Amino acid sequence: MEILIIGTVRGALYSLIAVGFVLIFSVGGILNLAHGTYYMLGAYLTYIFYTFVFGAGGINLLLISAILSVLSVGIIACLVYYILLRPHIQSLLYVMVMTLALALFVGEVMSLLFGVSGTRVPSLIEGSISIGGIKVINQQLILIPITALILPALWYFLKKTKMGQGVDAVAQQRTGAILMGVSVETATLITSGLSASLAALAGALIAPVSSVVPEMWLFPLIKAFAIAILGGIGSLVGSVIASFVIGYAEILGSFLISEQLTELVALVVIILVLVFKPSGIMGYKLR
Amino acid sequence: MNLLEISNLTKTFGGLRALERISLTVKPQEILGIIGPNGAGKTTLFNCITGFLPFDSGSVVFDGHNIQGKKPYQIVNLGLTRTWQLLKPFFGMRVIEAMMVPSFSKRARSSHLSKKNEKENIAGILQDMGLTKQLWLEVDNLSQGELKLLDILRAFVTRPKILLLDEPFSGLSHKEIENISRLIRKLNNEGLTVVIIEHRLRELMKLVQKVVVINFGNKIAEGTPEQVVREPKVIEAYLGKRGT
Amino acid sequence: MNLLKRLAPLTQNQSPFGLIILIAMALFPLMSDNIFYLEIIKLAAIYAIFAMSWDILTGYTHEVNFGFAFFIGGAGYLSGILTSHLPVSPYLAIPMAALAAGVSGIFIGYLTLRLKGPYFAMATLAFASILFKLSFILYGITGGEEGISGLDAFTDDPTKDFFVVWGVMVAIYLVLCLYARSKHGIILKAIRADEDATQSAGINTAYYKIEAFAISGFMAGIGGGVFTHSQMHIGPTMLSGYLSVIVVLLAMIGGMGTIVGPLLGAICLSIVNESLRIVEEYRIIIYTGLLILFIYLAPDGLVNLKFIKDSRLLSFIFLGDRKPT
Repeated sequence: MEILIIGTVRGALYSLIAVGFVLIFSVGGILNLAHGTYYMLGAYLTYIFYTFVFGAGGINLLLISAILSVLSVGIIACLVYYILLRPHIQSLLYVMVMTLALALFVGEVMSLLFGVSGTRVPSLIEGSISIGGIKVINQQLILIPITALILPALWYFLKKTKMGQGVDAVAQQRTGAILMGVSVETATLITSGLSASLAALAGALIAPVSSVVPEMWLFPLIKAFAIAILGGIGSLVGSVIASFVIGYAEILGSFLISEQLTELVALVVIILVLVFKPSGIMGYKLR
Repeated sequence: MNLLEISNLTKTFGGLRALERISLTVKPQEILGIIGPNGAGKTTLFNCITGFLPFDSGSVVFDGHNIQGKKPYQIVNLGLTRTWQLLKPFFGMRVIEAMMVPSFSKRARSSHLSKKNEKENIAGILQDMGLTKQLWLEVDNLSQGELKLLDILRAFVTRPKILLLDEPFSGLSHKEIENISRLIRKLNNEGLTVVIIEHRLRELMKLVQKVVVINFGNKIAEGTPEQVVREPKVIEAYLGKRGT
Repeated sequence: MNLLKRLAPLTQNQSPFGLIILIAMALFPLMSDNIFYLEIIKLAAIYAIFAMSWDILTGYTHEVNFGFAFFIGGAGYLSGILTSHLPVSPYLAIPMAALAAGVSGIFIGYLTLRLKGPYFAMATLAFASILFKLSFILYGITGGEEGISGLDAFTDDPTKDFFVVWGVMVAIYLVLCLYARSKHGIILKAIRADEDATQSAGINTAYYKIEAFAISGFMAGIGGGVFTHSQMHIGPTMLSGYLSVIVVLLAMIGGMGTIVGPLLGAICLSIVNESLRIVEEYRIIIYTGLLILFIYLAPDGLVNLKFIKDSRLLSFIFLGDRKPT
């Protein structure tokens, strides 16, 4: 039972992170290795806004800090795309190396500002409740309803609104979208902001109950990458499913075998998937 | 003996029958033309023959070898070389370097005397075709017509017995087409068998001895250029029913 | 006489600039007694080996190897284990470890043959991560987080050690130059431009891709082994993603696909890194910031800058390109 709940929480967390990662790749062809950094900034900026701008004054201000943090990251991502990535976007190597260098850079800045030991971020919802005899931390639990709201909202945006449909068109079939007059650059710009905001949201929500350290950008990135491969780059539904699969698998693994070994197994699985079915479980092959 | 024998070649993509039991033969030193409307399956045929696409049923026998399942480079080394419909230049390399690549193939290596000799040989071919100035330029700097010519010359370096050309005239001026036609005739006289896919029918018909017409994956006509042009099915394929 | 003939290409198309760097490095210990600086240049030479080995694969095929630490750390650990648990000398252990790295290169190269772009990068990263994890799981042999210390050096004198490293670097530089300018390099560049067209030219592309992978791995393995015994220590940092990324950055900023570029990149950036120690607190930030700036301004690398390639004089000095009249 505990596995079910914690696994769901993990799956929800991962899906917020992975969906953005997959989206920006489908739309802009950008393999954003700074995606984990956006997640990290979601956490750190919430702390920064709350402590320095609002003087740590209560839950409402904490909420506003989180929202500001998410918005700021979105704007930062748009700027990164527009200024740094756009000029050489056709080179995969450039995008990968530039975003990775940025990730390292921001990590170092955080390390300088806040040191290597964890930073404490207060919870939006304190305490814990008991479900079926198991104590579950509230802050973790709220991830589930929030994700359950956000993901369908995203789906609605992509499929029903005009702007979203443009983005979706680019993700599905770039050349077709261009012929229809959709601006790939605009779509990529919007998606950069959206994708980063989702990651930042995840970071802001999980910050109170997770370790906020300058290296926290690396593992979500690797997880997002792994999920993208398993779920299929290009399929949002696939990545959501894969997120939960990996979430549950991780929890199960750490219960049954050691955490190190679980990660090892995960890596081997990734290689096997790549070698034998690179298009993932639901995605389509790289155009 | 036929140099190339294609029997009942069938290729399906999902639900689409791209090639339907195509059979044709090519005799040594023949120049064969393959024509047909867009989407008829001509390039698919080439892709199947050259190992770039697996086919579902039928057989392809080249020079006595069954080439089914062979990798493209292996087929080239048996003596069957192709060019591509869309230009495939080796960007980022110099022209002479790009031309050297096929000389590294097993087939080319077994027939030339030494590396230096081969390099001079290739330089000579380029000079014959009027590309002396471009020898040391990067491929990126060449014009469309020059790149097209380079593709064909590169194919020739593999010392093929049969050369498959996919739309060699597309995008070229009349003079350039004349140039290439002359080259093909010269190579043919020296023993090369040629199969050409083309849409520029007037120029093609001057060059080929036999024509095969393909439409919707089926062979609908075969014969000399004069015979084929009169076939009602062929006219219908190009102009629609009202053309008859 | 035949050997001389085959070595002739070595002298043709050599980059004068590259030779100057190599010679300058050798002259340094003869002009200065400063052991500290000597160690810095020695380390720079080792990173140059890493960067050049990486370049022969990714620079020439443009398939990005993001897990290069696999070969470096893998061979480094292997060499360390061989010399610490068995009575094997570094001069034997390093080639053996490098050979193992080269063979793994064949294995990984084969598995990743059909992968392109991000998939290829991810696979290489996954392999490196597996080895990284294993170094912790198998802490009995590998010393876990601490690694293995107290390993044998090459000689008893830092200057002689330096020359051993320098010698290895020069040898690798020359071999890789020879390889890159031979048919192998030309074929790799053709594969980079268009693999289908290269197949159409009768070339077994799979073979050359795997071969490049193996050579890249082998050279990196030598670098890793040399690192281990020059620092007398090997730890998990040599298997980390961080190392993989640094190697990529050094090679990229220097200029991919040239062999000279990575040499330049490694030497210059290592020196920059060390000179920043005066502002130690901000060193990594400034260094990383500089790297970002460099990549933004010169995405193809310094030696591949347009104004160098377009100029007859400069392209000769830096790249050894000789345009005939």
